[in-house]
Amino acid sequence: MNKVILKNVRPFIDGAFQTPTTMNLVEGRWVDESIEGATEIDAKGALALPALFALGLDFQEPLRDDIYTFQNGYTAMRRGGFYGGIYESTANPIDNVQKLSAIQQVFSKSGLHLSILGAFSKHHMCEQLSEMLELASCGVCGFGDGNHLNATTRFLRLAMEYGAMTSKRFFFLPLDLSLRCAGCVHEGDVADVLGMKGIPRIAETIVVHTILETALFLNVPIHLKQITCSESLNLIEQARARGLDVTCDVGLYHLLFDDQAIFNLDSHYYIIPPLRTPKDKEALWDGLKRGVIDAISCNHTPVLRQEKEVNFEDAVAGAISLEVALPAIWSTLVDHVGERRALDLLSFNPAKIASAMPQKIEKGTIVNLVLLDPKEQSQVTPEKLAGAVRNTPLLNAQLPSAIKGSYIHGVWTQV
Amino acid sequence: MSALHIKHLFGLRGVSQSDIRTILDTAMDFRQVLERPVKKVPSLRGVTVVNLFFENSTRTRTSFELAEKRLSADTINFTSSNSSVKKGETLLDTLRNIEAMKIDLVVVRHKGTGVPQFLADNSQAIIVNAGDGAHEHPTQALLDMLTIEQHLGSLKNKRITIIGDIRHSRVARSNLWGLTTMGAQVTLCAPSTLTPRNREFFNGVHFEQDVRKAVHEADAVIALRLQKERMDDSLLPSMREYRNFFGITREVLEQASPSALIMHPGPINRGVELDSEMADSDQSVILEQVTNGVAVRMAVLFLLSGGRASE
Repeated sequence: MNKVILKNVRPFIDGAFQTPTTMNLVEGRWVDESIEGATEIDAKGALALPALFALGLDFQEPLRDDIYTFQNGYTAMRRGGFYGGIYESTANPIDNVQKLSAIQQVFSKSGLHLSILGAFSKHHMCEQLSEMLELASCGVCGFGDGNHLNATTRFLRLAMEYGAMTSKRFFFLPLDLSLRCAGCVHEGDVADVLGMKGIPRIAETIVVHTILETALFLNVPIHLKQITCSESLNLIEQARARGLDVTCDVGLYHLLFDDQAIFNLDSHYYIIPPLRTPKDKEALWDGLKRGVIDAISCNHTPVLRQEKEVNFEDAVAGAISLEVALPAIWSTLVDHVGERRALDLLSFNPAKIASAMPQKIEKGTIVNLVLLDPKEQSQVTPEKLAGAVRNTPLLNAQLPSAIKGSYIHGVWTQV
Repeated sequence: MSALHIKHLFGLRGVSQSDIRTILDTAMDFRQVLERPVKKVPSLRGVTVVNLFFENSTRTRTSFELAEKRLSADTINFTSSNSSVKKGETLLDTLRNIEAMKIDLVVVRHKGTGVPQFLADNSQAIIVNAGDGAHEHPTQALLDMLTIEQHLGSLKNKRITIIGDIRHSRVARSNLWGLTTMGAQVTLCAPSTLTPRNREFFNGVHFEQDVRKAVHEADAVIALRLQKERMDDSLLPSMREYRNFFGITREVLEQASPSALIMHPGPINRGVELDSEMADSDQSVILEQVTNGVAVRMAVLFLLSGGRASE
């Protein structure tokens, strides 16, 4: 369905949502003239947001297509209003051009803008550098650690030093694996009450400090994924003041929940880095307001039901979020930072971090948009989630707003 | 008195243009000697030279030894593998023992930066550096300069590009000091993990990471040997990527001056830093470098021991 007439819709243009209007959409473009044979949709005053850009995509295929597939990922993106995202395979690191070209070929048929993060070390093992020059020349948007940074400081330095030749951004999940050890929740009161192994804040801050100092030394642009506490934000602010090009994001669920949620021992709340304290969550919201945090990431991590339906500590960490992110966070986010900044965090900035073109809704141009009714509640039912996985702490929850559909690369997806 | 202002040859950093000129001119004379049927002169008769090699070397040691023999010096070869060093003797004790045998000149190679200077500070002998760590290898640079001059005339304003593991290369360092002193324009090209990061002292030297830009209109291109250990050290991902982005291929060399010289200190990793086609091309002067090595070393030994020889 690529011919759509959206009636009574409020598009985001020039920094604000406009009064209700009609949008004639054909072949991905918002056109003036009326179109024959189009599907008419009454948006009932819903907002047309520029489509979103996801940070933290990994669809598991080809190695774990028993969990999730590319197709599941595309469906989830369209349902959630994402026109693109940064893709980083952890199981099958993109560490050579053969793999890169294979995945580029797959993505070229997706109708989505998927930027690929190359691995800076072979197999994400942090023992041998990957062929970063070649990967960069063939189109990776940056280099990542596969969310598993087990590098010595020397290797980290060499990887960044070598990769600096490409001018690409380095992406890190700052978590000291030795300090994490077998920890699965934040090391704090809740962990102590429950007798669970904790992950202290310093597991993050020590690595943040090391990465920032190394990046400053080498003048390499970096992105820090899923910051969870104010101490890390302070370090980032200081590094920026010293001239470093550093961006960072915060995970969706770190803004929605804190470690109090762990008391129910529901393994859907088991994510890495862990949910921290209410005070940390507050600091993250404050970081959003103050502009320290550039983006909200999805970290869409599909996990099989049988790997979640076990006791908390034996579960596999991770949560999916593409379908629920926007309706779950939009209202609260707008209340905190306003509409323009909310879109910065969900769409414009993540795209810029990936060196992709930020979306804009403008008559006469190609538009990718997501239709959101901020006043209509929606329930996260299993059938709304793509594939067979259900691993979100929001499963069956009532969300404060509802996605009505998305129009991405000329395809209307009704939700 | 020696014709040079230096008493020892530790490196080319700080050596004057006139001293380098004198060495190159003298080497050119000795180059003629090497073309004669009898390739020997009596210049160092009665002078004893010790070749003190603490690091493996075939080419440089052979070249020095041949130079010494051509000058009629008495030579002793000392390598760490067949010496008391293996039994735990200190560097200073080794030197004092050798010096007690009344030697005149020491040619030294060692993995440590500054060892030639250390020996000079603790001995009466004249010291010639045959390579100290990644610091300097002055005779290699001198022979490179001699080779360029033979083909292109004066070094002044010549564009010389050095490509390879600059950070760990004593050849690169000596070359850039010597070449810039002689007025050449030097461009260094290497992956960032193999490039010096701090460039305060590299005045007038151009750094470039794009090999095509680096060789643009170059008059001579010096490729450095890539050590396989650099991969194990995580400094490079693979020989393949190095070759693809920093190797001297025909296509890369098309950016250089049509008559650009191709040089390499040897031994070559063919197909890595230098394609075979280029190494064996008419533009390649690699074997001439080897011949000139003997002439340059003869000149250095002759000039440094000049005062004594005349006594």
